[in-house]
Amino acid sequence: MKRMRIVAAIIVAATLTLTACTGTPHSPTANEGGSTAGANTGTNSTFVYDAHSTAITSWDPSTSYSNEIIVLSNVYETLTRYNDNTQKVEPLLATSWKSSADGMQWTFTLRPDIKFHSGNPLDAAAAKAAIERTIKLDAGAAYIWGAVKSIDAPDATTLVFNLSYAAPLDLISSADYAAYIFDTKAAGSEDLTAWFEAGHDAGSGPYSVTKWQQGQEVEVTLDAFPDYWGGWDGAHYDKVVYRVVGQATTAAQLVRSKEVSFVAQLTPELWGSFKDDNSVQVTERASWQNLFAFYNTTDGPLKNPNLRKALNYGINYDGIVAALKGSATRTPGIVPKGLVGYSEGLAEYAYNPDQATQLLAKEGYGPGKKALDLTLTYTSGDDQQELAMTLVKSSLAALNVNVSLTALQWPTQWAQAQSEDASKRQDIFVMYWWPDYADPYSWFINLFHSEEKPFYNLSYYKNAGLDAQIDKVEAVLAVDKPKAEQMYIEMQKELFNDAPAVVLYTSNYQRVLQNSVAGYVDNPAYPNVAFAYDLQPAAQ
Amino acid sequence: MIKYLARRLGLAALVVAGVVVLTFFIARVIPGDPAASWVGPHATAAQIAAVRTELGLDKPLVVQIFDYFGGILSGNWGVSIHTHQAVLSDIALRLPASLELVVTALVIAVVVGVPLGVISAYRKGRLSDQALRTLAVFGVSMPVFWLALILQMVFFQQLHLLPVAGEYDPELQYSSPLMSYTGFTPIDALFTGNWPVLGSSISHLILPAFAVAAYPIGVVMRMVRASILEVSGDAHIQMVRALGFSERSVFGRFALRLAWSPIIQVLALVFAYALVNTFLVESIFNWPGIGSYAAAAITSLDTPAIMGITLLVAVVYVLANLLVDLLQAALDPRIRLK
Amino acid sequence: MSRLNRVTNAGQGSEPRGGSAFGPTSAGRRAVRWMRENPLFAFGAAIVMIVVIFGVLAPFLAPFPDDASTATHPFETLVAPSAEHLFGTDQVGRDILSRVIYGIRISPVIAAAVIASSCIIGIPLGLLAGHFGGVIDEVIMRITDIFLAVPALLLALAFAVVLPPSPYSTMIAIGIAWWPWYARLVRGEAKSVTTRRYVENARILGLPRWRVMFRHVLPNSVTPVIVQASLDFGGIILTAASLSFLGLGAQDPTPDWGLMVNQGQGYFATQWWVVTFPGLAILITALAFNLLGDGIHERLDPRRVVSR
Repeated sequence: MKRMRIVAAIIVAATLTLTACTGTPHSPTANEGGSTAGANTGTNSTFVYDAHSTAITSWDPSTSYSNEIIVLSNVYETLTRYNDNTQKVEPLLATSWKSSADGMQWTFTLRPDIKFHSGNPLDAAAAKAAIERTIKLDAGAAYIWGAVKSIDAPDATTLVFNLSYAAPLDLISSADYAAYIFDTKAAGSEDLTAWFEAGHDAGSGPYSVTKWQQGQEVEVTLDAFPDYWGGWDGAHYDKVVYRVVGQATTAAQLVRSKEVSFVAQLTPELWGSFKDDNSVQVTERASWQNLFAFYNTTDGPLKNPNLRKALNYGINYDGIVAALKGSATRTPGIVPKGLVGYSEGLAEYAYNPDQATQLLAKEGYGPGKKALDLTLTYTSGDDQQELAMTLVKSSLAALNVNVSLTALQWPTQWAQAQSEDASKRQDIFVMYWWPDYADPYSWFINLFHSEEKPFYNLSYYKNAGLDAQIDKVEAVLAVDKPKAEQMYIEMQKELFNDAPAVVLYTSNYQRVLQNSVAGYVDNPAYPNVAFAYDLQPAAQ
Repeated sequence: MIKYLARRLGLAALVVAGVVVLTFFIARVIPGDPAASWVGPHATAAQIAAVRTELGLDKPLVVQIFDYFGGILSGNWGVSIHTHQAVLSDIALRLPASLELVVTALVIAVVVGVPLGVISAYRKGRLSDQALRTLAVFGVSMPVFWLALILQMVFFQQLHLLPVAGEYDPELQYSSPLMSYTGFTPIDALFTGNWPVLGSSISHLILPAFAVAAYPIGVVMRMVRASILEVSGDAHIQMVRALGFSERSVFGRFALRLAWSPIIQVLALVFAYALVNTFLVESIFNWPGIGSYAAAAITSLDTPAIMGITLLVAVVYVLANLLVDLLQAALDPRIRLK
Repeated sequence: MSRLNRVTNAGQGSEPRGGSAFGPTSAGRRAVRWMRENPLFAFGAAIVMIVVIFGVLAPFLAPFPDDASTATHPFETLVAPSAEHLFGTDQVGRDILSRVIYGIRISPVIAAAVIASSCIIGIPLGLLAGHFGGVIDEVIMRITDIFLAVPALLLALAFAVVLPPSPYSTMIAIGIAWWPWYARLVRGEAKSVTTRRYVENARILGLPRWRVMFRHVLPNSVTPVIVQASLDFGGIILTAASLSFLGLGAQDPTPDWGLMVNQGQGYFATQWWVVTFPGLAILITALAFNLLGDGIHERLDPRRVVSR
């Protein structure tokens, strides 16, 4: 017994030393911030957001390009905000804006007398400095400012962008990433990047960061910013908490026991189990995230458009949507609902094995004939995508088309698709695509415009006519929206006929909220974001 | 003794250095581009190149190994790709939670496994022995990730007895904030007299600790039974028998005392294996330890994090073995003469 | 994972064994009697037998053999266990029973392959180290020390991360983590056999060293290797299942048990059958092989049961 005790004592001593050496705070209270406002436990005024995975990967509003959008969108603001219901850009920090007739110069008028959380004024010079830092760091989604040649701040409320080519800057400045306006002087003499990464914020939004516990379940706490320009009249949440619960079952339990206000993501089965439950509310909304299958149009059997169309008829889309049990829907064409260019009237491919067999037979393939062997790569880690791949493989196997599936980490999958040696490239490349700002342009310029070296055009698709349309459309949109809309519809028809790719499904958002939360609307322009200021803690 | 000590320490250092080289080579063969996964999906080639330089991926392999060695010695274990934080501080942040789990599991294993092992040896060949042996084999045959799910299903989903996930109820952070001294939640709660947190953390600990304990319980039971049976043939024990002690006390007191040495040895090993089993269990219980960190690192091809964890476990394992060996050498002169 | 058996071996020194424990004459009868005295072994052996039969006859015993490969039924997903689907259906409508039966052809086969490859690498290295001693011995043993300093599951995991996910990768990754145990075991046997009178005589007679090694040293190592292999089988099945649970092994539609549990995780609160049955298959198979291994251990390694 004695020896046993010694060993145990040594193990404990060793671990204590280890933690002592690194001295990392573990407890909530050990964190900085002081004003934990722990006294206020009124859950009614606390909005608890249940995140599926770690909220914060970066605190830097310039380079952030990941899940932290759910936090940063309540801390920072952009010049404008996109309303997907009206398909219009609405004022936020900017109250109005106008562009020159050629779309090459944009002038924004800023809301006067706004202060950052730091107390510094948010004026045109500050906004200019913020955007310039983002452009200079050139990371994350900074490319959205690619058209900007220079920025001027002639007076405190006027911000002028001079562009090198026409672009819809009102849309761009509503982007979910890289468009935040922040106080570049917030860190004082300290290095701003390091200051951000320590969990500080330099925003102007309704909430500011008071607590960040990296790696903990309660990861981030935001408190209301008393001097917010919008004011705090009426019902508002005065605290926002982000809790990370990866397991859907647990998340479901937490919302039932009213410990969380909002669950961003559940399994469709669990979400479905809440549908008939009056003690909570559920919402469902199509996202702007499409799952694409890109066919290799330059090498291998899929060079042949008949075979591409055969595949398009051979996939059981309705089966995929059924098996995904409401977490996915179909979109006619390529542009999802809520964006310019979306049209109910566009034709879409439907599961038609007979037509697929005929098309295959024309080329000597199909049941009873030569087997068509294809390679397909997809990104690992997403359950829905994986399930869809199983179904794609299965429904094509019935047509004597053998698809060999490979799930790869994104970097590997992408590198392989870009390899110089065309024989190393896949026949079918599957990935999600979503826009960085509320504009269908991102699909066309990135996915279907011809490229010298493949980047995101992973069909390796070259269509000079389409290229010409794409090159024109943004300049048209900057000045003539209806015409641009028509162009987008025509482009989608062209892509339907040539079949370089197919949309397998569009993801649905399925949320669960406590009944006490009023005013929640999903805005797919800001994926998974709950704008807490716009919500009301209603009495039940 | 000093010569023995020096040799053992030297070998341990050699092994750890070997593990560093091993993990480094494993990581360098990764087909993906660590730089590309660092910057994320929509990065440009220029951004990737910049990150590659920043991470030192453009230097010759030998230089990278030396940099890595130097870094490890100076406490720089690289920067995690999925958290963007220093690997060592990531590990330090999460290790206490995992140790809490593993130490609890080992305590359960000893408290449950030793008596059952003794009974099994005492009742050798009888039905109760057969049943206990089967139980032990169940323990070592259990897919722990599945056990974790089943425990949740039964104790949370069906019986509503125990909380399903997390380290303690986060609501308590507001009503009853915990002061941290050691980093171990139950210990801190106990010493600061924070009863709500103590209760909550213990009830949260039970399911994951039992999931991790399944394997150690089986190992300890089998080890105790085997060692006792082995020593019960010893002359010493025969003498105790001859002196007229009851069979029960021969097993429970004398044989068990002699059998402790191999049991301690097995605990060092089981400790390392239980730590690895947390990789399979923690993410299921949303337990904020290195296990869920490792699982996340695996899915995001986080090379530095995987290397760091492998190294950590190797160091823990080597140290635990060293301790056991030294203890035994101190107590048994025959070993250090070998 | 299951390294406990190593430990029970560890303290045992390494004297060579006299021939087989089975007498040549009444081997069968004695085995039967022994089995009756060891119901756990008999139980394990019976289940292993059943598992093997199901594995071999899977195409005839599985109700929906196609569901183990590419077939799916997207409109019959997550159907609860019923007369038609005894174990229910999974997230794409496949019959879980059929997939569990076909799964026998994955993990246990991986385990056999891992043991084979560990022997192929480990035995020659162990022979070299044990027979020649000196620098060769020192180098080989220090290398095994490095590999053994990382728990097998973690080492296999580290390798599996860098390999493309497939059952072959699982095999290679676990094999790399496993061979040092065999090298050490054989080295110990070889070392003691080498110093025995008849081996020394053979050397004095001028027989080449490799011949001495293969004719005299190797055969004496066979029994401990068999014992070790039988003890390892269950543990390797668990390790392989753990890797595929982490997504590092076989990929869909391969009916791998660990992968099935992984894919079913999200459904366990609403559809319990999706994870329960594949997990049970892992447990029962590992259990059966472990019981069998224990029995073989006791039977072939009489020192272990010295106090019977």
